[in-house]
Amino acid sequence: MIGRAVKAIIGRELTRMLRQRGRLLSAMIRPLIWLLVIGSGFGAMLQQYGAGDYKQFLIPGLLCMVLLFGAMLASLSLVYDKESGVMRMLVIAPFSHYWIILARTVSAAIAGLVQALLLVVILGLMGYLTMPASTSLFLFGLVLTALLCAAFGMVIAVFSKTLDNFAVIMNFVIFPVFFLSGALYPLEHLPAWLKLITLANPFSYGVDLLKHALLPAGATTGMGAEFSILRDILVQIGCIAGALLIACVRFSQAPVMESLASILSGGRRG
Amino acid sequence: MESLAIEAAGLVKTYGDLFAVNDLDLVIPEGMFFGLLGPNGSGKTTTIHMLSTLVRPTAGTIRVAGCDVLKQPVRARAGIGLVFQESALDRNLTVEENLDFAGALYGLPRDTIDQRCHELLNLFDLEDKRHVRVGALSGGMRRAVDIARGVLHRPRVLFLDEPTIGLDIINRRGIWRFIGRLRQEHGMTVLLTTHYLEEAETCDSVAFLRQGCLIGQGRPADLIAGLGAYILELEADNPKHYIDMLSGELGAPVREGERLLFAIQDPDFQFGDWQQRLQHEVRSLQLRKPDLNDVYIWRNQPETTAAGEPA
Repeated sequence: MIGRAVKAIIGRELTRMLRQRGRLLSAMIRPLIWLLVIGSGFGAMLQQYGAGDYKQFLIPGLLCMVLLFGAMLASLSLVYDKESGVMRMLVIAPFSHYWIILARTVSAAIAGLVQALLLVVILGLMGYLTMPASTSLFLFGLVLTALLCAAFGMVIAVFSKTLDNFAVIMNFVIFPVFFLSGALYPLEHLPAWLKLITLANPFSYGVDLLKHALLPAGATTGMGAEFSILRDILVQIGCIAGALLIACVRFSQAPVMESLASILSGGRRG
Repeated sequence: MESLAIEAAGLVKTYGDLFAVNDLDLVIPEGMFFGLLGPNGSGKTTTIHMLSTLVRPTAGTIRVAGCDVLKQPVRARAGIGLVFQESALDRNLTVEENLDFAGALYGLPRDTIDQRCHELLNLFDLEDKRHVRVGALSGGMRRAVDIARGVLHRPRVLFLDEPTIGLDIINRRGIWRFIGRLRQEHGMTVLLTTHYLEEAETCDSVAFLRQGCLIGQGRPADLIAGLGAYILELEADNPKHYIDMLSGELGAPVREGERLLFAIQDPDFQFGDWQQRLQHEVRSLQLRKPDLNDVYIWRNQPETTAAGEPA
């Protein structure tokens, strides 16, 4: 029975996303600007020093960037949905409330994946994407990173009362996570304190896994993956499980549900 | 033996020092149409939220539709329908898409949803709106679709939290007609809250809440009859003078600003005599039948609340 409900929740989210086609296309602009402007600029500079192809190096990070924005923002929309009609249907439905979190995480991950796959097609058409060394590793990496971003977005969403200050989330979560991940530069030669932060950032392992799939020759030029595939996978699975556990437990707590019930009744307790 | 749809005992809910609900007992038999009445802030919504598993009571026990709400909230929710004060629909989806979604959340098979959707939309005269976006419907129609959404899974107990709030009188009557039809067709237990007390006169039983406490319960007709045969309403610049003058003959009135309300027990009350006597002194004078509003006003008086409940 829960299967039908989860399917319906995911289906509804995807319908909503596909109806906002403009947003879907505009999500492609950001990574393309990075690729064509930053990638070309830094690429030209780095080539003087005999480094490898910087644009190719950027591709795994940019795919992860799309997942980060797509999946995490889709998860964060739960905060808006707390005041929506649909949340009323969900909290009164006959399943445990943590299923709402799990279903929304999966649908947010799918939302991110759809955007990433669209970017894959665009990059392919532009000739920037080489065939991955292992297609299954590439797809698995995308799915895992999408789930990671969705799960972390969900943790923020269940702890946030409002998203009035959206810029705070952008500046203090999304951008630092992206910049401190190895998406834009190799981690190896970073100062120790900075490297420590990047190692603690689970997103780094998502980027690294895609580097394994897309930049198999990078190891020789210093422009490839830096951790083992197993480590990338285990760290991400561990972080996804941990984040979901926190989000589910928090969302199921009586006071959280109580304040949600109050919001859903228009702030009245009368 | 009569089976019970709702059984709550010693229900308490506190928020800090505030008692939102205070030692509430409710016993509602299967099939009853029950009204929980009171002004805004009297604890009606909190009570519905506790009965429907959304809010955990500070103390007390609750059984709804045969389930212990505190121990088996998920099972209890399967037997409950809840229509919130605010819409539980997605405005961007059509009526049909909303009902499909609601049905799926209850694990209903596709053809069951289709058949019930058809049946409910017919019952509520909304069949031609099936493919219309909910955002494009009028407030009354949206509320009707929301109620259809709340009963799609055939709950044993339906909670309606202020089903007519924010609607004009025509739509309010429409919603009451739909609720009536629904009860006729499915015989479900309905617990509703409203602060339009006159609307609750069709209920089998009503309970009055004030500051989270029950201050009276019974059949509307009994409660109204218990109050008196008529209400004499008098408005004057100097109400104190008329309290002193008339209390001996008519009993103590209830005062609301410059308005005095006397409960008249005598069914043969001669209004004409009183009109002649008072019409040149007072601003207005009228005699009317009592209604649930009057019952609430009397119950709400500190000195009369201890008088107990009529049989």
